[in-house]
Amino acid sequence: MIRGRPAVGLLVLGACVVAIALLAADTGPRSASPWRHAYALPVLAGALALGVVGGSVTALAALMTQAPMLFVRVEAVGLGAVALDELASAAMLLVLGPLLGSCVTEARRQRERYATVLAVHETLADERPLAHILDALRRRLNDRLAAEVTLAVRDGERWIVAGSDAHLFDRAVDHAAGEFLPDAADGPRPHRRLSVPLCVRGETMGVLTVERVGELPAGERRALAALALHISAALENARLVARQRRFADELADKVRAATDRLEALDRAKSVFVAMASHELRTPLTALVGYSELLATREFSPGEVRRQAEIMRRQTRRLAGIIDDFLDLSRLERGEAPPLRLAEVPVGPALAGAVELLGGPQGARRIVVDCAPELTPVRADPHALERILVNLLSNALKYSPTDTMVTVRARASTGNVVIAVEDAGRGIAPDALPRVFEPYFRAPDAVGRAPGSGLGLAMVKSLVEAHEGRIHVESEVGIGTRVTLQLPAVP
Amino acid sequence: MITSRSTPDAARSAWPPGLLSGTPGNLLGVLVASLACCAALVDASWLPSSALRVVTVAVAHGGLVAIAFGWASTTPPQWRPLVPSAIFILILALAAAGACWDPRAAIFYLASPLWLAVLVVNGRLAPLGLRGQMPISGTLLGLATGLALGGHLLLAAAGTFGYRVRTDVQVLVAIAYDVGANVPSSELFFRGALFNRLQRRWSFAAAVTTATAGGLLRYLVDPLLPKAPEVIVGMLLYLTLLGVINAWLLWWSGSLVPGLVSALVFFAAYRMVAAV
Repeated sequence: MIRGRPAVGLLVLGACVVAIALLAADTGPRSASPWRHAYALPVLAGALALGVVGGSVTALAALMTQAPMLFVRVEAVGLGAVALDELASAAMLLVLGPLLGSCVTEARRQRERYATVLAVHETLADERPLAHILDALRRRLNDRLAAEVTLAVRDGERWIVAGSDAHLFDRAVDHAAGEFLPDAADGPRPHRRLSVPLCVRGETMGVLTVERVGELPAGERRALAALALHISAALENARLVARQRRFADELADKVRAATDRLEALDRAKSVFVAMASHELRTPLTALVGYSELLATREFSPGEVRRQAEIMRRQTRRLAGIIDDFLDLSRLERGEAPPLRLAEVPVGPALAGAVELLGGPQGARRIVVDCAPELTPVRADPHALERILVNLLSNALKYSPTDTMVTVRARASTGNVVIAVEDAGRGIAPDALPRVFEPYFRAPDAVGRAPGSGLGLAMVKSLVEAHEGRIHVESEVGIGTRVTLQLPAVP
Repeated sequence: MITSRSTPDAARSAWPPGLLSGTPGNLLGVLVASLACCAALVDASWLPSSALRVVTVAVAHGGLVAIAFGWASTTPPQWRPLVPSAIFILILALAAAGACWDPRAAIFYLASPLWLAVLVVNGRLAPLGLRGQMPISGTLLGLATGLALGGHLLLAAAGTFGYRVRTDVQVLVAIAYDVGANVPSSELFFRGALFNRLQRRWSFAAAVTTATAGGLLRYLVDPLLPKAPEVIVGMLLYLTLLGVINAWLLWWSGSLVPGLVSALVFFAAYRMVAAV
């Protein structure tokens, strides 16, 4: 009860002192009362229960009640043994009370300090973001220190500040080196304020500011400086753990992404192998069939020529597929395709590509819009033919047979821009960024038309090998336009 | 959570004011000169000795109060302390003169607390711990302190030196002097001004030690207080306790009222002690 309510405790102890004084007053002026030793009890109780204040006040009260009787005795019998003994008893109490009280107070303060350090480490071991941890720590320190605490911690270029007073924030930033203000505000009672830097390895990482209405003695300021060291170390640990966790998370994300990519690649290659087998088998079947027919039967010269033409076309198709495989292999090794650059007139190149696309039926669907005076491009003729054939073949494959495919060629400041437009179903927006990836085929394209998923990847690598650029625009239900830009002959 | 800086506050950056900032040097000079002139005139028998007593009361207590007013006036909102100080000094001079002429005129000393009350209502003395509202618990504690110390003084004086308690008109005159001059000047200057200003620079212990030592010194040089050795020794103890406790009461409650109450009660008891 005494410890919980100091004022009540002091009143109880005061009453005890007065009671003892009344008991001790019975003796005559020539002898000291044995009751005087009983003063030690409230003094000890005051010191143990209320610390230095209790010990000092009770000892002073004991002295004040003893003093009149002591004076009377000194006056009656002089400064003899009895009076000296009583004086020594009183002096002993005056030393004992404050001394014992100081020890008790200091022991309690030490206990509080250890508890505060423990609270700091407990709070900073939390896994929440730094701003939340700092706020939680500030609230715990407010309670433990009975003061207004501000914690400012530098996080890169910015400050994270836990505190409610903008002025404290200013002071914290201005006085990161630490300072003590005996009075920080013009209130009825002084506002003591201490700013202590939070340092790790000689570098200031923040500042702890404590403001209290009342005393902030030197011993407590030293303790706060020590507490700041604990906070700094715990904050640094928390930062390191957070950084390690973030690094581990990033690593896990990277591994997961790489695994996903490898799995996707593996799936694409499986699809590619199945598709490539099919693509190779078709011309091979035709070649085997017509060669067997020619070997085992007699045909008219006209029929022989027709079958030879089919075999020639299938052989070119086979060669084209094998060329694609070789280019893909080169692409995966990071090598640029070999080019034999020459001046290539764009109009004839477009006409040649149109002619290669399955004869008059395909050619009937293609509209060529090429300015006659167009500057030639500097390109490998064979590579340019593959580029144009690929783009036109895609446009024909993925658009209805009753629609037209337009190919336009225009000059543009040192370049020639060739655009191939179709009126097909278009490409879905999520598939559009991936159309130049090797093996990629838009989900709705698979099954609608044969393809290896290599054509546009080849086209892109060839265009870039010419120091040109290519991009694709598409709108679902409207059509697709592929635009490539090649350097013109200067 | 604060992430941006506020606008610097010039008034806060100027806090606390200098240790002697606001001291009315000119007024103190005039008071000291008046005292010296009066002493010279009394010495030359041009004025009666009671004139010196009147001027001493006005200069000593009025000077302390003038310094307290001057220091209080430096805290925003700032005000001019000269006229309030002059009125307080004039009241003390008139009351002291009246008391010399007729002891019953000592009742005029009660005008100075009234003048202080006017200043308190106007909010002028808030920096000294005197505000409109009265802290009830603090005032009760001050009353208990005054009663305890005063009661102890009476008992100890009666028990040790055989002093009796007197209740004649001189006691009332002395109490009026305490109410109007002695206690207000001591508490306003040593606690409200000096202790208050020191504790904003130093620790509580250093501030209370200095202010209490100043109060004791003032007591030792006060010619109107008893000078018997046993009384001085006893009073040093009591005034030390009273000074420390009153400073703590001001620190604890933020108000000067508890200290004024405890000092008034104690000095009332002190005035009732009379040698056999």
